[in-house]
Amino acid sequence: MLALQLLVNGLVTGCALGVVAISFGLIYATTKLFHVAHAGVYTLSGYLAWSLVGHGVPAIGAMVVAMAAAALLGGLIQGVLYAELERRRATHLVVLIASLGTLAVMQNIIAAVYTPNILQFPLPWSSRMVSLGAVRLTWTQILTVVLCLSAFAGIMWFSHRTILGKQIRAVASNPFLAEITRLRPQRIYVTVVAIGSAVVALPGILVPLDLGLQPYSGITPLLTATIAMIAGGIGSIGGSFLVAVGIAVLQNMSLLIMPGEWSIGVTFGIFIIFMLFRPTGLFKGR
Amino acid sequence: MIRIVVALLVVCLGSAARADDTVTFGAILPLTGPGGLIGTQQKLGIQFAMDRINAAGGVRGHKIAVIFEDNQAKPDQSILSFNKLVDLQHLPMIFTSFSGPSLAMAPLATRKHILLINAGAQADALAKASPYLLNTLPTLGDEAGILTHWLAKSGKTKAAILFENSAAGISGRDNYITTYTAAGGTVVAQEPSQFGQTDFRPALLKLADSHPDVMMVSITAAVQQMAQQFAQLGVKFQVAGTTFFQDPALIADPAAEGFVHTQLQSKVAPELAAEFKTNYHAEMEFFVRQYYTASNILFVALDKVLAEGKPVTGENLRDAILTIKKFDGLVPVVFNSNTATVPFDIRIIHDKQDQLLEEMK
Repeated sequence: MLALQLLVNGLVTGCALGVVAISFGLIYATTKLFHVAHAGVYTLSGYLAWSLVGHGVPAIGAMVVAMAAAALLGGLIQGVLYAELERRRATHLVVLIASLGTLAVMQNIIAAVYTPNILQFPLPWSSRMVSLGAVRLTWTQILTVVLCLSAFAGIMWFSHRTILGKQIRAVASNPFLAEITRLRPQRIYVTVVAIGSAVVALPGILVPLDLGLQPYSGITPLLTATIAMIAGGIGSIGGSFLVAVGIAVLQNMSLLIMPGEWSIGVTFGIFIIFMLFRPTGLFKGR
Repeated sequence: MIRIVVALLVVCLGSAARADDTVTFGAILPLTGPGGLIGTQQKLGIQFAMDRINAAGGVRGHKIAVIFEDNQAKPDQSILSFNKLVDLQHLPMIFTSFSGPSLAMAPLATRKHILLINAGAQADALAKASPYLLNTLPTLGDEAGILTHWLAKSGKTKAAILFENSAAGISGRDNYITTYTAAGGTVVAQEPSQFGQTDFRPALLKLADSHPDVMMVSITAAVQQMAQQFAQLGVKFQVAGTTFFQDPALIADPAAEGFVHTQLQSKVAPELAAEFKTNYHAEMEFFVRQYYTASNILFVALDKVLAEGKPVTGENLRDAILTIKKFDGLVPVVFNSNTATVPFDIRIIHDKQDQLLEEMK
């Protein structure tokens, strides 16, 4: 019973992490920028949804508006900040530092506006329990699995079946060649960061709906998502998602045989060993 | 032109003279980050005490000022802030909180003879960390001992422990194990959580699987989220904790129904609570009261130092507190050593109220 519940909890957490990983991977594979401020977009989207719900907007409406606002914010960060830095020939390290600065500013604004307290969505249904045999889940956990798996499938379809998705992959593959074929990489970059930001807003809302909002909560999922992206194979949406789920399941299941102090260290230790044998990741990105 | 320069000099000298009348202290608290909620309450407690004493004319005519520094509950940031306040501002005394940061600053306080006053952290190591670190509340060892003996006496003899992987959390766990075992209980499982995390499900599941009579908790943040996730498990065993259960959000949450905890006695007169609410638009919460009391202890010590014509140094302030020994603030605080003794209660959260179960002498 314990093992089954831990497995299911790991799958729920992994689905949310997986969406963070594919959104970050989409941005990184295309722009080649380490967009750390993505953690700020993740956090801010949750707070926006919380504000809207607090003002009486239905949960689904709040989610859609927060995702749209996240897309706008991501697009602005790319279109205004990163593009300007690139125009001034800033190195990727400078852009990384600018991104870190943006994250710090966003976290501070969130803490100043909303206080550093842990906030909870005023939605009693979100914490109601459902028993599925021996497994107990909240409605939010069920919603997280359903929506995150849908987002994963949607991104896969978008990337492989739509013209824009193919254009993004073309720019990711070779921006200079793409420019020759009249694709405008800068515009594609803005689009891809906006899409990635809208997608990351989904776990950015669902995870706090379950566990509460904190201004500094975006860094840990982003770090795990980065590892998942690298271990899954940069550019591989399926690889990133699968590895993210694997990490979360492993972290939960490891409790069966060891104390919790060791679970993070052992889990990531396994991935270090894995990367030694397969440095290009689980799947090769396309 | 000369008149203007002279006039400016007079104004500047006048300002300097007024500045000399002000006695300035420091406070290194987590004003942002996962500890920001507690740190902000602590800041308000100091601010409230300072505003009141200044409104009453200060201490022997000296106004009080406090420079606040944000350490985000991080030891390394605390060291930077400490050096800034001591080496650049030459402050004789600093308020501190949280065990990790306080322990990090303690050796510096010893070396530089700076008084540290802690009114929030409870790790056992704080009691002997520095002769210049005064704790206005008992350590977790004392509090855990009271709780575990009460639990064992109540027939809860098989315990699991949920602890925070921090100085305070680990200290709490160690104290639970030592005192509970001494009281005749058996610890059957223990699991950590990280400071600031809100996902307790894996740890709670594993602890519940050990089928304890009671789960003893030693976490300092996100207790409400822990309670909610505990309730979601659908298990029925006692949950017990320390003063950190004195969280209004936790008490108001039905998920915390039946939780028992020790509580440092901390009483506030309704008029004072109302005055605080009027000034700061907030309730006078536990950590506000703790730092309000600590500030008033400092003011009494400062009064003694000034009355004796001594310079306001960390050493003189510390000696004054240890000489006066007994302070009657919101509750009696007695310094028999550099860690004060304060009376405790055993309380239970019932019907969204924190109710007294037993007063411990």
